[in-house]
Amino acid sequence: MIRALVFLAMAGPLAAEPVVPVFADETASSGIDTIYEGDWEYMVGGGVASFDCSGDRFPDLFVSGGAGPSALYINRSAQGGQLVFEKTDELTLDAAIGAYPLDIDSDGVMDLVVLRLGENRLYRGLGDCRFEDATTAWGFDGGDAWSTAFAAIWERGADWPTLAIGNYLDRYETAFPWGSCTDNWLHRPQRGPKNAAMGFAPPLPLTPSFCALSLLFTDWNRSGHPSLRVSNDREYYKGGQEQLWHLEPGQPPRLYTEGEGWNRLRIWGMGIASADINRDGFPDYYLTSMADNKLQVLTNPADGVPVFSDIAFRLGLTAHRPYIGDDLNPSTAWHPQFADVNNDGLLDLFVAKGNVARMPDFAAMDPNNLLLQRADGTFVEAGDRAGVGSFGIARGAQLVDFNLDGRLDLVVVNRWTTAEIWRSAGDLDGNWLQLRLHQPGTNRDAIGAVIEIRRSEATERHEITSGGGHVSGSSGWLHFGLGNAEQAELRVIWPEGKAGDWQALDAGTFQILRPDQPPVLWQPD
Amino acid sequence: MNTPISLDRRQFLALSLAFAATPAQAASREALARDILVTWHRLVLELIRHTATYSPPVASRAFAYLGITAHEALAAANPALISLAGQVTDLAHAPTPAGLTDPATVLHHALSAATAVLFGNTGPTGQRAHAALTDQLGARVADGLEAALHGRSVAHGAAVAAHILAWAANDGGAQIENMGFPRSYSAGARPQDWVPTSLIRQQQAPLLPDWGGNRPFAMPTATACGIAPPPDYDETPGSAFHAAALEVVDISRNLTDEHKLIARFWSDDPMLSPTPPGHWICILLDIADRDALPVEVIAGALARLGVAQADAFIACWATKFEVNLLRPVTYIRRVIDPVWEPLLITPPFPEYPSGHSTQSGAAATVLTAIFGDGFAFDDATHVDDDLPVRRFASFWDAAEEAAMSRLYGGIHFRFGNAAGLAQGQCVGAHAAALRTIA
Repeated sequence: MIRALVFLAMAGPLAAEPVVPVFADETASSGIDTIYEGDWEYMVGGGVASFDCSGDRFPDLFVSGGAGPSALYINRSAQGGQLVFEKTDELTLDAAIGAYPLDIDSDGVMDLVVLRLGENRLYRGLGDCRFEDATTAWGFDGGDAWSTAFAAIWERGADWPTLAIGNYLDRYETAFPWGSCTDNWLHRPQRGPKNAAMGFAPPLPLTPSFCALSLLFTDWNRSGHPSLRVSNDREYYKGGQEQLWHLEPGQPPRLYTEGEGWNRLRIWGMGIASADINRDGFPDYYLTSMADNKLQVLTNPADGVPVFSDIAFRLGLTAHRPYIGDDLNPSTAWHPQFADVNNDGLLDLFVAKGNVARMPDFAAMDPNNLLLQRADGTFVEAGDRAGVGSFGIARGAQLVDFNLDGRLDLVVVNRWTTAEIWRSAGDLDGNWLQLRLHQPGTNRDAIGAVIEIRRSEATERHEITSGGGHVSGSSGWLHFGLGNAEQAELRVIWPEGKAGDWQALDAGTFQILRPDQPPVLWQPD
Repeated sequence: MNTPISLDRRQFLALSLAFAATPAQAASREALARDILVTWHRLVLELIRHTATYSPPVASRAFAYLGITAHEALAAANPALISLAGQVTDLAHAPTPAGLTDPATVLHHALSAATAVLFGNTGPTGQRAHAALTDQLGARVADGLEAALHGRSVAHGAAVAAHILAWAANDGGAQIENMGFPRSYSAGARPQDWVPTSLIRQQQAPLLPDWGGNRPFAMPTATACGIAPPPDYDETPGSAFHAAALEVVDISRNLTDEHKLIARFWSDDPMLSPTPPGHWICILLDIADRDALPVEVIAGALARLGVAQADAFIACWATKFEVNLLRPVTYIRRVIDPVWEPLLITPPFPEYPSGHSTQSGAAATVLTAIFGDGFAFDDATHVDDDLPVRRFASFWDAAEEAAMSRLYGGIHFRFGNAAGLAQGQCVGAHAAALRTIA
């Protein structure tokens, strides 16, 4: 009932049908030419990381190349201008499957976690888009696996992050690979010998593991202690299911059980997107799969039990088959991401689509989805009208404002063809606000914080996370569409739990928020 | 009578000795042939699980054709065996080999070729696994075999596979689209008609509504094993239909851990298990390993079990879509308890009769005919999925438990299970009558 009332409250002042953003395909002129290449060992993966490595606060890009070389691109776009990137010689790695930006050592310069076929690596940012391999220096055991998922969190009181790495099956199994899922790892921080520099302890195996393709630390029940959500590919596990791990400081991780309310769900889990879609104050989870996809909301948030209901069908979010073209076979979905692409104040959903390889039971011509949220909380497909319904064999993606004009742009990594990038080029009536969170000391980008923003009668909560999606992530400006509002009323609950004051921030601005300090306005040069 | 006892191992050894230097070599080739047959079926159990097209009816079809392929591959060169040509619908005799052949090599190449076509739509991992097994087992069968004999055996295996695949191509079940779900569907208007029960978009139409029109194997027609209609639909408390639904509710509210285990053990969900027909194939393969059955016995049993189960799905689906009965969850929420939830996910097709029950009844009938009544066995189908081994005193004990599992799961009425077992027994009798050994 509460949820219904919330949707009713949201429905009042807004138009029945959402504004469709118009995206211009600027792949050819963007300077981006990386292809996610490779055979069977690269059928999953194909990630992209968006973060500022140059110091100008414009998002730069790392694109995985699979069996081909990965590439780091510096964003040379002007504010509001066409998307232009300069390819560098940095981070031209082989066997890169995906990547996530994370300021691991909290020095204010973004570092990069690269998931690989083989040894995973940590690259320390040096500034000016230069990096050094810090895998050994930080005591990080990169292992030798098929790594396909990542998430990070600063556990309560920790100086360094805890990293979770998801691994796929044993790539050396040939005739009977099913059931050969290898262990996921939890890399907790540890100080070196004789109180030396911080680094990582040997990884804890997250046994049992079921071929994870997405991980996310998330405070699903607002307990103050994020849990680890794992989405697993049922194609390869036996006895497996989706997973939720308790993660309490100093304690070994342990799985939520059916006795605690956790319900068994078995899907071809490929990506997790989280957002407070129903505005009940708790994160909801979109899980990509093959054919129907899921949107899980807590059935009874008040009781603190991890029982979820799937409302994808009701909201029109199943995205189960192509919506254009003649191929009506079931879809294959990878990277999902909630974001407000038309600045109307309602979160929309992008889903990257593409066949695993050439599976005839599934659509070969499988367009990406852009599902726009209506005022009543349901969604309508607009990928074709928006111009992003590409038939590329998509994998990872990011919705990011690359030219800092307040409109979200889109980059998608494709298997066997060049990554694609679109600029949001149409007129959008809605206002927007972009934020960065900065803390002093450790965890400078406030991973684990929550931004609460008032929307009509409801308060929408945004968890600041590192992980999820499909081997793709961003760190940088946090974009909020505001609709007709001239200001956003919001507050930050910082990772250690302290709530900042409610404040009104002007639409159309970039603001940097720090604990116990007034917001700082920033403008592009 | 077709029993293991009637199998003449000496006949096989005599045939093997025709090209083997010593009895030991012959015995080794026999063991290799058995290993080839079982290993290919182990791979097929995985492909069934990991190929989206393979819902239970489709899986049953594949097992039937693979079993027949194996049997015909052996029968064409072994006078101790009887071809199924003329016994199953429209099957002609397989090509005769050009001379002596090696059963292991023939089996390997026949099964590799047949699997490649039947699972042509499996994913890249399945294709990779098929190629790897073809190479690995291909090297084993070729090792030490004289070149001409090897070549002749390869050719014969390929010829038999082509022969069976050509026969299979026009049975009505070769092409599956959208994982078996029609693109559109209009539900019936009667209160007892099936309606979708799933929140999955693809399952707003029922699975394979035309499957009952496929060509049967051993039973003369899809309706040869008719069953009595279900109780008249009635929402009145005290009516037979209402009582059956109330029983589903009562059982669901009093499930023991054992009931839940049974429900999950036999659930055999598509894409998460080898499916129900694969479950019974697992049972047979484990018995074959346990008792070191000769390869001809295994091949004949796989063929007859495959036929029984494939015919069971054809008969069952013909009845399901003729009766078009709603599922318990629909009735119960409408009449008894609007928020009732079954233990298991309700399958996306009509209730009557229970498919598990029909195919389990058919399987039990044919396996009892092969191995005898009171044949005890361990069922380890789901040990890799962390479910325990279950022991059964007979095939019928297992079939009856499989039927009950659907009532525990809250997805079938008791009358649907009983009718399914009866229909399965009738279907299985046709497969049991097939003769594979002279």
